[in-house]
Amino acid sequence: MLDNLVEVKNLKKYFNTPSGVLHAVDDVSFEIPRGKTLGIVGESGCGKSTLGRVSMRLLDSTSGTIIFDGKDITDASGADLKALRCEMQMIFQDPYASLDPRMEVGELIGEPLKVHKVCASKDEYNSTIKSLMDTVGLAERFLHSFPHELDGGRRQRIGIARALALKPQYIVCDEPVSALDVSIQAQILNLMQDIQKERKLTYMFITHDLSVVKHISDEICVMYLGQIVEKSPTKELFANPTHPYSVALLSAIPIPKVNIERNRIILKGEITSPINPKPGCRFAKRCLYATERCFAESPELREISKGHFVACHNI
Amino acid sequence: MLEVKNLSINYETHEGIIKAVSNISFSVEKGKTLGLAGETGAGKTTTALGIMRLIPTPPGVVKGGEVILDGISLYSLKKRQMRSIRGSEVSMIFQDPMTSLNPVMTIGDQISESLRIHEKLSRADAAKRAKELLELVGIPGERYSEYPHEFSGGMRQRVVIAISLACNPQLLIADEPTTALDVTIQAQILELMNDLKKKLNMSVLMITHDLGVVAEACDDVAIMYAGEIVEYGTAEQIFNEMKHPYTIGLFGSIPKLDEDVDRLTPIKGMMPDPANLPEGCNFQDRCPKCCAICKKQKPESFDIGNGHLVKCHLFSKGGEANA
Repeated sequence: MLDNLVEVKNLKKYFNTPSGVLHAVDDVSFEIPRGKTLGIVGESGCGKSTLGRVSMRLLDSTSGTIIFDGKDITDASGADLKALRCEMQMIFQDPYASLDPRMEVGELIGEPLKVHKVCASKDEYNSTIKSLMDTVGLAERFLHSFPHELDGGRRQRIGIARALALKPQYIVCDEPVSALDVSIQAQILNLMQDIQKERKLTYMFITHDLSVVKHISDEICVMYLGQIVEKSPTKELFANPTHPYSVALLSAIPIPKVNIERNRIILKGEITSPINPKPGCRFAKRCLYATERCFAESPELREISKGHFVACHNI
Repeated sequence: MLEVKNLSINYETHEGIIKAVSNISFSVEKGKTLGLAGETGAGKTTTALGIMRLIPTPPGVVKGGEVILDGISLYSLKKRQMRSIRGSEVSMIFQDPMTSLNPVMTIGDQISESLRIHEKLSRADAAKRAKELLELVGIPGERYSEYPHEFSGGMRQRVVIAISLACNPQLLIADEPTTALDVTIQAQILELMNDLKKKLNMSVLMITHDLGVVAEACDDVAIMYAGEIVEYGTAEQIFNEMKHPYTIGLFGSIPKLDEDVDRLTPIKGMMPDPANLPEGCNFQDRCPKCCAICKKQKPESFDIGNGHLVKCHLFSKGGEANA
């Protein structure tokens, strides 16, 4: 099974809180083929960021298996884990908060190189930084600038350069463009696609923005309260959304066109608490089609057409 | 209903004069919604604060122009008179419902506050009206004495809307009212605002960076760039017959849900530093159609038919592009 770079099986991540056990990620399985992009969409609090972090071992899982490049890395530690970090990197959401304000651009990009001692000489170190800046489209004159002197788009380019520094195979992108204006967002998305093609990277792309995820992903998982409710190739999901939550989510996006006919489904209520969830489908409370069975029994992900999985009793 | 004429606002700082808003004019008709759209730093919020006379001074200075609400020129009023208009005739919804509510006051008291100040209602009457307002925005009246932290983001934004509607304003300024919310909640809030607008026959000035929200909620649209309105017209004119290169670039940058595009077409470069605007058109460095005149002379707004205004030299002869 070497064509899947990342495989996650029955992954769970629970947090103990004073009011009970918070099921942030609950029994999630997926695989990402080498060189492809898996999009994870869902609303705030559905566990998408936790899933990204657990999948690259920034957080320890409660149970489940993570297989990376054919090796089980669920319990890797010490030197093994440090070596793994060169293979997997992360791009963070907020380019304002994720960069040390007291480091220059060059130092920021060079930091991972120093930590992992990958450069043999000072010259190699300097030229690697310069070539990384070139890759992400940062002019050399910014080498000694501080993050506060740059705008959001450029800061996010630093974040991308840092993630690329160790030549990883797998990058978790956690809302990398959400904090940016649309004209800059488009520049960054194009850059990320170019780099992916060039370096054959595998992305997990976490976002709440469905139009962005549609643009960049090969396959999409829709998450609701810690669980995957629908998993499908991108085209199929948008042509044929099946889970009632995915349908409502798609219909809720405002489309920048006037005078179009829309069948909007307005969901009642809001996402419920992931602390000590009750048995049954987690979406049942807000679902238009919920039956008694939905409140009693948790639905399983079932394949309804090739590669298209849905967790719903009524499908 | 509301008319803004040639409004200019500067921020005068040690580093220089920042022209946040320069010479903009627009109007909002009774019962209609005008969308003010643009990117971060375009001057959208400054415009809204300018209308409310809430520009922090210093460093903000209103350089000129007029704001006329229902026949009254707001900048000719005394401070006390302005205070009585603010919150009753015009009210504002802010972006972040987490920070615009007072955490140590019950939401009921926060809604009653403006009723007691503006309408001089007794405590009991204000409480009764506040409960009605809560019901109006879809929150059960029993939650009157709860605190903001007991509500979710969407519910808090409903509370903020209830506060802003308390004194039946004629004009509601909504500054990114749904930006902090999830899409399914955003859909709920937009629907609520549309309903209320119809029910109460208010005018709304909707400030947003999301063209999808504009398409959904607005009758007229003004696109702002670097402190100026670069294109202004009805929603149909802007969405179906966009003309300004910036507007076209903006639409090209959005990933589309109903079309398959392999590559986005971003606008190159970034917005100019508002403290150091170029001579000539503000968009010149990023414009694919920039010509010699754009570098020398600021374009005027040209009417290209039926009130569709475009601030670009390409349209200087009143019609199609001549460059």
